[in-house]
Amino acid sequence: MLKISFWLKRIAQLLIVLLLVTFGVSLLLRLIPVDLATVLLPVGTENERDILREELGFDKGPIGYYLQWLGNFVQGDFGKIYFSGGTEEVSAHLADAMPRSLLLMAYTQVIAIAIAVPLGVVSAYRAGRRADKIISNTLFTLSSVPNFAIALLLVIFVGVKFAWLPTLGYVPLSDGVWEHLKHMIMPVISLSLGLIATYTRLLRADMIAALREDYVTMAASKGLSDQRILWRHVLRPSSLTLLTSAALSMGGLIGGAIVIESLFATYGVGFEVFAAIAGRQYVALQSTVAVIALFYVFFNLIVDIASGFVDPRTRDRRVNA
Amino acid sequence: MSSLLSIKNLGVNFDTPRGSLEAVRGVDIEIPAGTSVGVVGESGSGKTVMCRAAMGLLQGSNVQRTGTVVFDGNELTAMTKEQVRNLFGSGMAMIFQDPMTALNPVRRIGSQLSEGLRVRLGMSKKDAMVRSKELLELVRIPNPTAVLKSFPYQLSGGMRQRVMIAIAIACNPKLLFADEPTTALDVTVQAQILQLLRELREDLKMSMVLVTHDLGVVAGNTDFVAVMYAGEVVEYAPTTKLFADMRMPYTEALLESIPKIDHKSGTRLSVIAGRLPNPTDRGVGCGFAPRCKYAQEKCHTQHPELQKDPDGHLYRCWFPIGKAL
Amino acid sequence: MRKFTKPTWLAIGWLSLMMFFAIFGWVLPFKSWNFVYEDDLEVGLFTNGHILGTDSNGYDLLASIVAGTRMSIFIAIAAVGLGGLIGSVLGITAAYVRGKVDTVMVTIFNVGLSVPNLVLALALVSVLATNVDINQAVPTWRRVMVLIMSLTIVLIPILGRIARGATLSWTGREFVTAARSMGMRDSKIITKHIVPNVLPALIAVAFLAVGVVIIAEASLSILGVGIPDGASWGGMIARGRNDLEYAPHVLYVPIFFLALTVISTNHLGDVVRAQLDSREAKV
Repeated sequence: MLKISFWLKRIAQLLIVLLLVTFGVSLLLRLIPVDLATVLLPVGTENERDILREELGFDKGPIGYYLQWLGNFVQGDFGKIYFSGGTEEVSAHLADAMPRSLLLMAYTQVIAIAIAVPLGVVSAYRAGRRADKIISNTLFTLSSVPNFAIALLLVIFVGVKFAWLPTLGYVPLSDGVWEHLKHMIMPVISLSLGLIATYTRLLRADMIAALREDYVTMAASKGLSDQRILWRHVLRPSSLTLLTSAALSMGGLIGGAIVIESLFATYGVGFEVFAAIAGRQYVALQSTVAVIALFYVFFNLIVDIASGFVDPRTRDRRVNA
Repeated sequence: MSSLLSIKNLGVNFDTPRGSLEAVRGVDIEIPAGTSVGVVGESGSGKTVMCRAAMGLLQGSNVQRTGTVVFDGNELTAMTKEQVRNLFGSGMAMIFQDPMTALNPVRRIGSQLSEGLRVRLGMSKKDAMVRSKELLELVRIPNPTAVLKSFPYQLSGGMRQRVMIAIAIACNPKLLFADEPTTALDVTVQAQILQLLRELREDLKMSMVLVTHDLGVVAGNTDFVAVMYAGEVVEYAPTTKLFADMRMPYTEALLESIPKIDHKSGTRLSVIAGRLPNPTDRGVGCGFAPRCKYAQEKCHTQHPELQKDPDGHLYRCWFPIGKAL
Repeated sequence: MRKFTKPTWLAIGWLSLMMFFAIFGWVLPFKSWNFVYEDDLEVGLFTNGHILGTDSNGYDLLASIVAGTRMSIFIAIAAVGLGGLIGSVLGITAAYVRGKVDTVMVTIFNVGLSVPNLVLALALVSVLATNVDINQAVPTWRRVMVLIMSLTIVLIPILGRIARGATLSWTGREFVTAARSMGMRDSKIITKHIVPNVLPALIAVAFLAVGVVIIAEASLSILGVGIPDGASWGGMIARGRNDLEYAPHVLYVPIFFLALTVISTNHLGDVVRAQLDSREAKV
């Protein structure tokens, strides 16, 4: 049926993009004017380096190298991290890091949406009046401050001066929910402020437009209360842009997470990227970037499907497209 | 006959960046119980604003409403928003011009129909659905079970209009405001909808205010007609009397501009030259004077007051046309 | 000139001050920014001629911040300028020519957009700023070049997509068809008709982009791959992290400058966009 072929086409497009991205990254790697084997294995015999070169595919041309890497990647072999003591599997590192980053981003999105929705509804309902102006201006100013600045200020005041919350480290859920959450509070606040501002602004704009529609007057003429109309009639059609934006901001979240994760030492995927670069672990870098891209693309696909449920018009509209 | 709805000296002003916009000025209308009153006027005459203002549906911090509106003994203009809201549904209801935008696009028909029943009448979900099906049958929608599950965009224009009517009459209102219910529809569907409204009025003993720009629609569907121009009522009479013996040059011009089936093909359509006066600056004199073919000097300088014939026919003209004079 | 509100004037004022520092900072009689004042470690405001104090290493904060302004602003303007230029050329061409060229361009844009900004920038900087002899540090000017190049590359898909979108909405309009039918050459149509209409949208985004780049550069410096030795705002923050516990004022200064600058550029970008929207509405 039409619907399935549409989704297949979409997935195919995404796969092409993914392949291009990963290929680009591997190309980038090959452009580095160093002998990668020497970088990864500075101490050791030339023989060992030759073996390494063969193992990693550095002896092949760029395409050959890419295909070998790709073959390994889809089987779950993300390569190794090389240091003087030995090697570690990248996949093990990522398996550790993934849940931390995912939780961080999940908390951030949930908090951001949970705060932005009531703020957006209120500022749309009282558009142009004091409450609206206060909310809009405050959010605008706060969101222009970079997230690491917020993080640092939080650390200075909440972490050091008043010592309410721990400033570093990550505690997994299994070690205690409250400890886990305590370590997440400041990173989540730092990351979510910008999102809250964007989401509120988007929701407010959409709701103001929706409030002018006839169906709102009609709902009022049915005798429904303002609150009921706002929350049960206007919110749903207006939330489409919000959802789309939530998907788009995942990219920024991942990037922003790099700095935040470094500042707070919650060793997530973003931090892995940074560590790979700082430690010159280019193999790990390639795989990690690929994983990030994969996740980002996959997430967008899910949001696409979800928006079909929230606004059924988009569902059928796309069938006709 | 006592008045179901009594509008006295209703005025509506909008604050805009370009100045204060006077949409409705000094409107007096009585809707007797059990009747249907038509409100006729061009776009911009203020008829829609007047109805929404009467019901109290005008939202916005830039709206100012003056005057008194009394419905079924309740003085709406003196009541709080919640009190007025309690009268919606079973007291007053409204159907809108464009059913595509008046129905919530993301909710199913069944949900929109049953909502009023559940919130206003306290019905259970199941009972409300049963009653919703009955309502759809009442407005003659085929296949009501399927329609209940559909979304508005899946229905045709005529069906959407019927659904809107069903929603409006769900709680058995005493008064129905019909704001241009047929303008967005084909001519054949128009006739069906008007007939449906006639029958519903009889069955449910419902009074109606029928707003339209089309004089042809009020003929045969209303007991009284009020003609509005530039925010004011300029003529008011029983329908038959209006057509037979009109007083306002404007009403005459409106009637003349309706194409007639017995005109020879190639006959020029008669139009009313000119435009409505600027609502931010109404000026002195009669608002229609610049376009009126009978206008005299007095018309341009003095604003005519509402005059009343002994038989109750109201008109706002210094030099009315018609037999009785 | 239409009336600007007070916040807008404040924003313009602050940005002018920044530009002033950026251009003339090196001739101003501030103390030297990378000289270690060993006698004045961690002093507070207005001590010993250090107007904003020093940090625990002995660097004068005011001089540092002025030098940092120069670097951060220069990088931001260069990246946005280059990125905007290349991006809009690509985007406008793609939207105007359509067909295969457009599809290829859109795919390229999507590839760039599917990697989060900072990740891409990090990857690019790390690759391009490496020396053949891995252990030798890279000279600052090369770092700066690499930074500008990387940020430009990151910006190209973003600005290109906007340029393309804006062009698409304008090529559809009748006056373009009319111009073509009169025999106007495509290049002329583009320069005379399309660009003037696409430009305002780009300018609005450009303001926002400057803010984004400043933050990106600062983030990279905090992570250690940007400008070394505290020569930029991000570098100052990186340097000042050690002083977090006992001399947090070292961090307040760059944070304050950063935040105020980004707030100003965002505000101005908003103002431009609002002007644009009202113009569009009148059309």
